[in-house]
Amino acid sequence: MTSQAASLPVACHQVGVRYGRTQALDQASFQVEPGQVYALLGRNGSGKTSLVRCLLGHQKPTAGRVDLFGQDVWSARQALMHRVGVVAEEPDAPPIMSTRQLVRFCGSLYPTWDQAGVDQRLGRFRIPMDLPFGRLSRGQKGQVSLALALGPKPSLLVLDDPTLGLDAVARREVYDELLGELGERGTTVLITTHDLAGIEGLADRIGILHQGRLLVDASLEDLKARHRKVSWAPTQAVDPADLVPFAPLWSRAGSLGGEAILTQGDPSQVPGLQVHPLSLEELFVALVGEAEVAS
Amino acid sequence: MSILAVTRREWTGRRNVLLVAIGFSIISLLSLYFEADPKLALEKASFMGVFSGTALAWVIALLFGATMVSRDLEERRFGFFLNQPLHAGQIFLGKVLAGLGLALLAGLLTTLPSVLLSGLWRQLALKDVGSIVGVGLAGSLVLLLFFHAVSIQVRSRSLWLLLDLVTWTAFFAGVRWLSLRLMGAWAFQDLVHLWLGLLAGGTLGLGIAGYLQVAQGRADLQRGHRWVSVTLALTAGLLLLAGWVDTAWVLKHRPPVAWTSQPGNRSR
Repeated sequence: MTSQAASLPVACHQVGVRYGRTQALDQASFQVEPGQVYALLGRNGSGKTSLVRCLLGHQKPTAGRVDLFGQDVWSARQALMHRVGVVAEEPDAPPIMSTRQLVRFCGSLYPTWDQAGVDQRLGRFRIPMDLPFGRLSRGQKGQVSLALALGPKPSLLVLDDPTLGLDAVARREVYDELLGELGERGTTVLITTHDLAGIEGLADRIGILHQGRLLVDASLEDLKARHRKVSWAPTQAVDPADLVPFAPLWSRAGSLGGEAILTQGDPSQVPGLQVHPLSLEELFVALVGEAEVAS
Repeated sequence: MSILAVTRREWTGRRNVLLVAIGFSIISLLSLYFEADPKLALEKASFMGVFSGTALAWVIALLFGATMVSRDLEERRFGFFLNQPLHAGQIFLGKVLAGLGLALLAGLLTTLPSVLLSGLWRQLALKDVGSIVGVGLAGSLVLLLFFHAVSIQVRSRSLWLLLDLVTWTAFFAGVRWLSLRLMGAWAFQDLVHLWLGLLAGGTLGLGIAGYLQVAQGRADLQRGHRWVSVTLALTAGLLLLAGWVDTAWVLKHRPPVAWTSQPGNRSR
């Protein structure tokens, strides 16, 4: 194994997961570089959860393998978990334990446990320390989970939809905490989320899973450079056929004008077309929508 | 240390069980006040204490075993353990120790007051105490591991349940057949040895199956079930084979039963 492969926080090689006749994940391959924030996106049922379970060594892939820091996570899970912090989609800490007990439990397992950091974070989140975890609000559970995940000062942070069900304030607090962690320690982050607007300012690289296949694996910068959103007013005589040289990924035209997402060329030369910045959400909808039409 | 951390985590929130034990101990002591004959009252109280303590310990072990992993898996909470740097053996052993500790503590809390107040402790040698605690603990371990395996088999709802049914049926049918052969030869001591051997081997098999369920099944209930089923089927097969060899050896080396009539009944 090369030293580069050994230093890669995440490397998925042709990972496949099958449940009976259903192929939940099919030959998914991607890598996450050190210090990178990799956002794994996909609709419900796209295979994200199966991939995360394989990535954390909870489940053995039916094909391929997942390496964390150059080691097969299925066989070296225990050793690797010293370097990985996890926030699960559904907060899975025992509901009967108070936050104080949870902190004590997790703290006793990691030699690198940062008690002061955990206390500060929980203080910032204003978490009641003696209330059982099961009686905290959804937002507080997410915040406690994040504080526990960051406690051992992990090299890799895996966040499985950490903002699911959170209100705007709690969501903001989670992202602020992540930004702080990234700024301080440059932790590698793999995050799955439905909150595309929230992750847009954070992610370096995007993976889009669709029907078990990795549809896109590219840097956000590249994706935005390759795709351009254009629109035209009803008064402009733009024929969608004019856009064919720009390889439109998606287009819509009607009495109110039209819009399209183009994948090549410089559309600013076409008279009547206005070029707009493209949001991650628009890009996701267009890419997944196109894949659905194609399939 | 990590094993004890898991054990402590399992005890959290289960302390109510100890209140139940105290309640049982009070019930055991009631005969001291309601029985008119003081000697009989003491005997009743001590018997009730030992009986209800052992029974409570076994019920706790049974319930603990039935929920210690399978409920976490069903409620998708097992990932909490897997996300920590804990070996599968540490998770499993920590949980088993928690169940045994809880059963032992509840059993002692129920038994001790009546044994102390009735004066039974004066008549008991250390060996007797060891035997009572040993039987209670051994029974608790068997029940805990057995119901852990059964709960995985039942909750996974997979087709491996068919193999389980075949295994259990074949195992108990085999044990019955071997037992009848030994009983037919009046080899009751060998029969007890056979049962103890099967119990010890079965407990070991259940322990290995439970460990493999955690180590190889992890968060996948059905994969865990597969490991439990295969391990138990192999264990049952090996135990029956060993039992058959043992029985055959006993029957071969045992003198035939001599059916002699009693002198007084001799027919003329």
